[in-house]
Amino acid sequence: MKKLLIMCGTGIATSTVVKGKVEQWLKDNNLSQEVKIYQSKVSDEIGRIDEYDVVLSTTLVPNNIKDKVIDGVPLLTGIGIDSMYDKVLAEIKRE
Amino acid sequence: MKVAEELTIIEMEADSKEEVLDLLGNRLFEQGFVKEGFVESILKREENYPTGLPTEPVGVAIPHTDGDMVNKSTIAFANLKNPVKFLMMGTDDKWVDVKLIFMLALKSSDDQLNMLQKLVGLFQDPEMVSKLAEVKDVNELNELVQDKV
Repeated sequence: MKKLLIMCGTGIATSTVVKGKVEQWLKDNNLSQEVKIYQSKVSDEIGRIDEYDVVLSTTLVPNNIKDKVIDGVPLLTGIGIDSMYDKVLAEIKRE
Repeated sequence: MKVAEELTIIEMEADSKEEVLDLLGNRLFEQGFVKEGFVESILKREENYPTGLPTEPVGVAIPHTDGDMVNKSTIAFANLKNPVKFLMMGTDDKWVDVKLIFMLALKSSDDQLNMLQKLVGLFQDPEMVSKLAEVKDVNELNELVQDKV
């Protein structure tokens, strides 16, 4: 089971929207059984980001964890969704 | 849901995002939906976690802050006479010209999930964004969002 973290500044607004969309996407791609979703705020996760396999964020993250984090804003604007999901899928499939 | 008339500012005239957040946030405070300090909290949060979205044809911002500043979940709306610059969500150096503001007063993540998702759906439709930027009163606004928010 892969662990997918979705985070935003408060952990209640945009991450909720992103979570809803990602859940649907996982379902549509028959991946629901392979991935467990976690939702949180950035400030709570910075120290334990390595516990997750995939990380989506709608807010800026510190430079030292930047490489690990995929930008989730496309799910809010509708712009660039496909390439965002390509990155998520690559992380889910990573051995 | 409907956006309340008292929480709607049509053709707001403002020179900065701070002014926008102050005007709209105070509406929420005057109507009792949020606690004292909500405006300061929302200003601070906008600095750390900006909420501008680069939608077409004009930008949208969805300012919000922690749930403990909120008494009752709701949403306030403004369209601006002239755009003001908001930082783009997820960046600290990209700016968006924003003409539409949906200020979210949310107590918890379970609140208004449907409303939030529908709102985001609207943002992905340029025709809808354009219409929202042009609404002239609260009835027109609610007609547009009626079945969707």
